[in-house]
Amino acid sequence: MSQTPLKTKKPFFLRFKDERILLILFALMLAFPFVMNLITGSGLNDGITKFWQGQLIIFFIMAVFAMSYDLLIGFGGILSFGHAASFGGGAYTFALLMEHWAPNFIGKYRILIGSLDITEGIVLLIVFLAVVLVSILIGLLFSATSIRLKGAYFAMLTLALGTAMFILVKATDFHEWTGADEGLHGVYVPDWINPTQNRLTIYLISLVFLVVCYLVMKRMVNSPTGRVIIANRENEDRMRMIGYNPVLYRTIAFVSASFFAGLAGALYSIWNTSATPTMVSAVTTVNALIMTILGGMGTLVGPILGAAIMQTISQFFYTWFGARWPLVFGVLFILIVMFLPYGIIGTWRMKRNDIKGGWQKLLRLLSKKEDL
Amino acid sequence: MKPENKKRLMIFIWSLVGVGVVAGLYLYAGKEPFIRTTLSGLTLGSLFFMVAAGLTLIFGLMDVLNFAHGAMFMLGAYMGWQLYTNPTFIFGMLPALLAFSTGIMMTSVIKPYLIRWEISSKWQNFLPKAAYFLALVIGVVAFWGFDILQLANTAMVAATTTTAGNPLAEISAQEPFVQFWYRPLLLLLSGLLVAFASSKPGVKTEFAPLDEMKSKLVLPIVLFGLTILSIIIRESAPVAILLMNGNWRFVISIIVAIAFGFLFGAIVEITLIRPLYVRSFFIVLMTLGLSFVIQELVQLLWDPLAYQMVRPPLFAQPGKAANLMEWLRNGSSTIDVFGVTFPTYRLFVILLGVVMFVFITLLMTKTRLGMIIRAGVQDPQMVEALGINVKRVFTFVFALGVAMAALGGIGAGPFLPIQPAMGEQYQMQGFITVVIGGMGSYVGAFVGAFLLGMGRAFGDYFALKLSLSPAIAEASTVIIMIIVLLIRPQGIFGKKE
Repeated sequence: MSQTPLKTKKPFFLRFKDERILLILFALMLAFPFVMNLITGSGLNDGITKFWQGQLIIFFIMAVFAMSYDLLIGFGGILSFGHAASFGGGAYTFALLMEHWAPNFIGKYRILIGSLDITEGIVLLIVFLAVVLVSILIGLLFSATSIRLKGAYFAMLTLALGTAMFILVKATDFHEWTGADEGLHGVYVPDWINPTQNRLTIYLISLVFLVVCYLVMKRMVNSPTGRVIIANRENEDRMRMIGYNPVLYRTIAFVSASFFAGLAGALYSIWNTSATPTMVSAVTTVNALIMTILGGMGTLVGPILGAAIMQTISQFFYTWFGARWPLVFGVLFILIVMFLPYGIIGTWRMKRNDIKGGWQKLLRLLSKKEDL
Repeated sequence: MKPENKKRLMIFIWSLVGVGVVAGLYLYAGKEPFIRTTLSGLTLGSLFFMVAAGLTLIFGLMDVLNFAHGAMFMLGAYMGWQLYTNPTFIFGMLPALLAFSTGIMMTSVIKPYLIRWEISSKWQNFLPKAAYFLALVIGVVAFWGFDILQLANTAMVAATTTTAGNPLAEISAQEPFVQFWYRPLLLLLSGLLVAFASSKPGVKTEFAPLDEMKSKLVLPIVLFGLTILSIIIRESAPVAILLMNGNWRFVISIIVAIAFGFLFGAIVEITLIRPLYVRSFFIVLMTLGLSFVIQELVQLLWDPLAYQMVRPPLFAQPGKAANLMEWLRNGSSTIDVFGVTFPTYRLFVILLGVVMFVFITLLMTKTRLGMIIRAGVQDPQMVEALGINVKRVFTFVFALGVAMAALGGIGAGPFLPIQPAMGEQYQMQGFITVVIGGMGSYVGAFVGAFLLGMGRAFGDYFALKLSLSPAIAEASTVIIMIIVLLIRPQGIFGKKE
């Protein structure tokens, strides 16, 4: 009676076969602060170890932001120039609530389980729920405009909406809440995730955040919904004819991208203990765009690689070329757009067999020579 | 109801609404604030139009969203300002630029021969890439050791100290010819390599006839002659220009900004945008990167500071003129318009915008080229099928658009601070204008620009009155855009797809 199922379930470890490099990298990153600590001898929370942890934290957060942007432009084929609004929206929601609401609340109430004080945990949870809510709302706002508009009109409208958000954040009318030009600084953050006191905690949190986001997005992209989103990018009319509603799927793409970007923004706000207008500005969107293009659009590993390269480059280019390093970077960007339009990962995936074949040929040639 | 009648009714209703709004504002604000706000709205609208006209033409014809347009606006301002205060810089750079463009313009001459070249597909792929790379290397070698910063820096000295007494006090020396001669030569070579690469050697599917070679040679020869001329006058011309009357110097700087914009636009279109037409998505990204590069380059040359350009003498004399004649005679800085004191330079900006609109209208409706452009907006493939070289028209329109943005830049120069970020907000407003007016329609851009300018000016007025910050008024332009898009998604003058 027993029927063999069509799809046999793979053994647990084999399921991660595709991600083995990433798993190794994850392990390396996890061990990084401790190894660094052993090598340099400086404590976990000071000196060069602390500095590189900080750099890696920025990399993790920006990688998530770039991935969420890739969900839009790479997978959804939606050219939105207002993605920083989600990032900054998350950051500002977090900072505003933590600055103006949380200290009040913590001062007034205590929530205890037995003798365990979980007030701060509850506050963080509520704030993060608010962040999620706000970023989803921003996603909905942006996708609502895409119902009537397409292509260039849509790109410009997103740009305009993003700019409007930026202007409102900078407006002096709301100075007492948002701090206008300077933004919010020294935002209250519970001690156990304070980046100056407990950098290791926030390092681990953002690392886990990156991995979880990557896995969730990968699952999402490979799910039927994700497939429809990708198909929408290729041919919207055909999808509509088959019977899918493109608007719905575009909304899903928008909301999920905005969701991840908002969380990344909130985390970035914890890391900086501040929220500044730069986080909402077009520069932030362009940064995510550059990372995505660099690594490869339409792949999830690409943006991560792009973020890593960008973070490294900005470190070294600054020392090599001085304050005008973005010039060199911009030229590089143009060259990549011209000659490597699918990014590093995309080109690698396209030319993988060629490169491997060439490599094997070379090896064979070398070994033959040895034989002779 | 008949469609025409319905259209007429709609136009009637909307103009009634417009008149009502204007009358309401007049009654609410009173005569003097109304006129003042209207005039500043017209000034803003004129500037918006200068940015938006290029954007809309470029988008309408070749579906290119040019995100570097604001940077080109800024570049126009810098170039005009440089000619006005520090012509040494322009004349020092001119031979290099001209030599490079001479090389590129050889494309149409060498292309018919190169595409008939018998080479394997491997070489067809490899040769252009190698040529681009070599061109880049040669370009870098050509500029190696060339002290551009010193040439550019003079202007900063000139901007801080008054040169009213002796205009030649700040003039800096050019590089001696013995060191300089090889730079234009190398750049000519670099341009030739770009021409070689962009003419796709060996690709049989490309089309280029072998006839009319003589007429194709005209442009490169003229450019080559200009290169030689610019090398000769390198040292004497700056002196001559600085000794000139300020008004004529300003006219020349406007012409230089336009010419520079045109040349720069043509070079950008040929080298950067043309290879990407097959992947139009990447053009947007490329122009974004380009705007980044231009801004950084400008900051490298002139530091990230804001400069104030001296107004030409026609607009500089303190005092108020009662009418136009008195202004032209005395060169007063303000003029009386219906009882309101208004800066004369802003009137000039409004005039500039209107003149540009007239020029575009004439170009589009009365010339053969305009006819081709209008046809190209409708259907580029069909125009190409009729035997017109659409690529060249593309280059021309892109160059024209950039030239108009550069004109806007130098027009804005004397009353806005000249700084690297000055183009950004105008680009944003230009985009909004284009969307409101309808993509590809220059009349739409004109109407949209003045609508938006008025919106901004009255928004600022109300923000002041309600004690809000001007930022709110700036954000409110987005609201205008959204309202227009909700009523007419294709813009006011756009055509339904």
